[in-house]
Amino acid sequence: MTDAKTLAYINMYAIFGSLENLCALDSDARALLTNKKPISIGIEVKDGPAATLTFKNGRCRMEDGIAPCDIKLPFSSCEKFNGMIDGTVTPIPSKGFTHIGFLLRDFIKLTDLLSRYLRPEPEDLMDERFFNISTSLMFYTISVAIAQIGNNDEIGKFSAHHMVDGDILLSIKNGPKATISVKNHRLLTIKKAPEKPRALMEFSSMKLARDLFDGKVNSVACVGDGSIAMGGMISMVDNMNRILDLVGLYLA
Amino acid sequence: MAAKKSKKDSVHYNHKKSQEWFKRAVNVIPSGIYGHLGPAEGLWIPPTSWPYFAERAEGSYFWDVDGNKYLDYMCAYGPNVLGYNDPDVNAAAIAQASIANCTTTPSYKMVEFAELMVDTVASADWAFFAKNGNDTTQAAIMCARYHTHKKKIIFVNGFYHGVSMWTQKIDYPGVLPEDVANNLYVDFNDIPALEKLIAENEGEIAAFIATPYMHGNFLDNETPEAGYWQKVRKLCTEKGIVLIVDDVRAGFRLDLAGSDHYYGFEADLICFCKALANGWNVSCLCGKDFLKSAMSGLSYTGSYWMSAIPFAAGIACIEKMKKLNTPALFRDLGTKLTTGLKAAAENNGFDLVVSGEPALFYLRIANDDSLFLHQDWVQEMVSRGIFITSHHNHFINASLTEDDIKYTCEVADEAFKAVRKRHPEAF
Repeated sequence: MTDAKTLAYINMYAIFGSLENLCALDSDARALLTNKKPISIGIEVKDGPAATLTFKNGRCRMEDGIAPCDIKLPFSSCEKFNGMIDGTVTPIPSKGFTHIGFLLRDFIKLTDLLSRYLRPEPEDLMDERFFNISTSLMFYTISVAIAQIGNNDEIGKFSAHHMVDGDILLSIKNGPKATISVKNHRLLTIKKAPEKPRALMEFSSMKLARDLFDGKVNSVACVGDGSIAMGGMISMVDNMNRILDLVGLYLA
Repeated sequence: MAAKKSKKDSVHYNHKKSQEWFKRAVNVIPSGIYGHLGPAEGLWIPPTSWPYFAERAEGSYFWDVDGNKYLDYMCAYGPNVLGYNDPDVNAAAIAQASIANCTTTPSYKMVEFAELMVDTVASADWAFFAKNGNDTTQAAIMCARYHTHKKKIIFVNGFYHGVSMWTQKIDYPGVLPEDVANNLYVDFNDIPALEKLIAENEGEIAAFIATPYMHGNFLDNETPEAGYWQKVRKLCTEKGIVLIVDDVRAGFRLDLAGSDHYYGFEADLICFCKALANGWNVSCLCGKDFLKSAMSGLSYTGSYWMSAIPFAAGIACIEKMKKLNTPALFRDLGTKLTTGLKAAAENNGFDLVVSGEPALFYLRIANDDSLFLHQDWVQEMVSRGIFITSHHNHFINASLTEDDIKYTCEVADEAFKAVRKRHPEAF
């Protein structure tokens, strides 16, 4: 029920893309990049996604495509790239051998930290700071994964085909917000609230969002008791939720 | 029953007991209230403004468990056609209950009801009974496939034909791509697209299934263009495609002879349910003689499909609808109501779009493109005891009075004012 190409897009933009938010939210991640020369990693997947991660002044930014970069990691297929995320494939740079230290030390530390937040141990979640960062990162990862599935997965594309143009506000009350922007049935996630949403779905708290992400509560029951608020063009939210059902399959 | 409350009394209700019942419900029922009668599919925005559970109902009204009274324009999503607890229909049902209901051989009431259906529905040569609308759409598809020995079915985009897997979509939970692999889709009122689709699938199409007009959710409802159904009928006849009309929702509200009759054509198979027995559980598939043999050959039945109480109720319901000429009454009441609502909207600077047939009117505030204003207004109406929805067509029933309509329009005016006050930026 999942396909390698869609998973590659999720791994690139939703997982690696969350490094942006990790560096913004976590001081340990920022510390790894502070007082170091800016460096960029271009990742290019044959018949799949291509993006560049730039680390500069304690921040991380992802841009589409292979810009001039310091390190280039080519992958011959989506499966190979997904294998790197699973830890079964070791990437070999085609450019940037003099920067290999960053790749082997700092970048691995960053991705390990990200994994700790995205696949947390129950005891880590007892710490409020960790809980909030972990839940925020999950939120951004899921938000971006929605767009990748809507644009690439065959069933996800069917759902996107039934969405009208406009911006959906996806948010956690007093927490992170994102825009799922729809145009001509293509989806784009922007990690901030839209100016004028055409539809919205809001989780009432970080705890509720966490419980939903962990499958501990049922979203339909939450709509019933008001802990998930919806409004506007509900057909947009309805179809987004069908894509959201697929997110769990890909991120499992 | 006329509305008794004055404008002064129209206050925001509380739903303490409803919410207590819902908390108990979610412990033992998936999602608390599933389906279209629940807060998620019913789009109760926000849910705290809506009644979760009913206590009793009478005429055009129901009372929730907190004692709040609602003038109900959803009519249980259709079944309430004569008024809740209609004395004539209930008397027939209760009389039958004292004789026999669910028996090893069916009651002769089934024959009487079938004869009445065949006499009433213009295109019907036979009648087949079940319980829900979905039972009849499923039967219609199976009958069409068995008769034609073909696989594919044409649907109109935005359709709803029940809950069987073939009626759902590829992205719905629990549905496999294989379940909907033989589904083809076309827009309503688009004859060139239908011709193209049929040509592309020549010799493979078993049936075309559609509601008599497009009364899908979230969209302005669309009535057929002049000549549309006649062209569909001609195409289906020429290509050996069974023409199925899903009249579950609109049936008997437009025309007691069937909505196909209302629009001037004849379906091969036509599905009825909601308005058939004023809330007593029965549905009916009617069909043409040439499909009777195929229908007889299906392995298709259910434990309660031949229960006699709903047959007795259905007979009484149809006879009363004929006596009252309910389709004409519904058209008149629906037109008066929607005209009044539009005027109330206009007086407050709102553009209220009314679409579909007056008996099943659909509403949308068009001042913004998001439905936020519309959902706010619907909430204000429900909070004041007028039960409407933001996403679905509404229903007129025969017990609705002109006083009820007048009262509804007064409340609508209040509700528009409340929304305007809350959203000054929109005006």
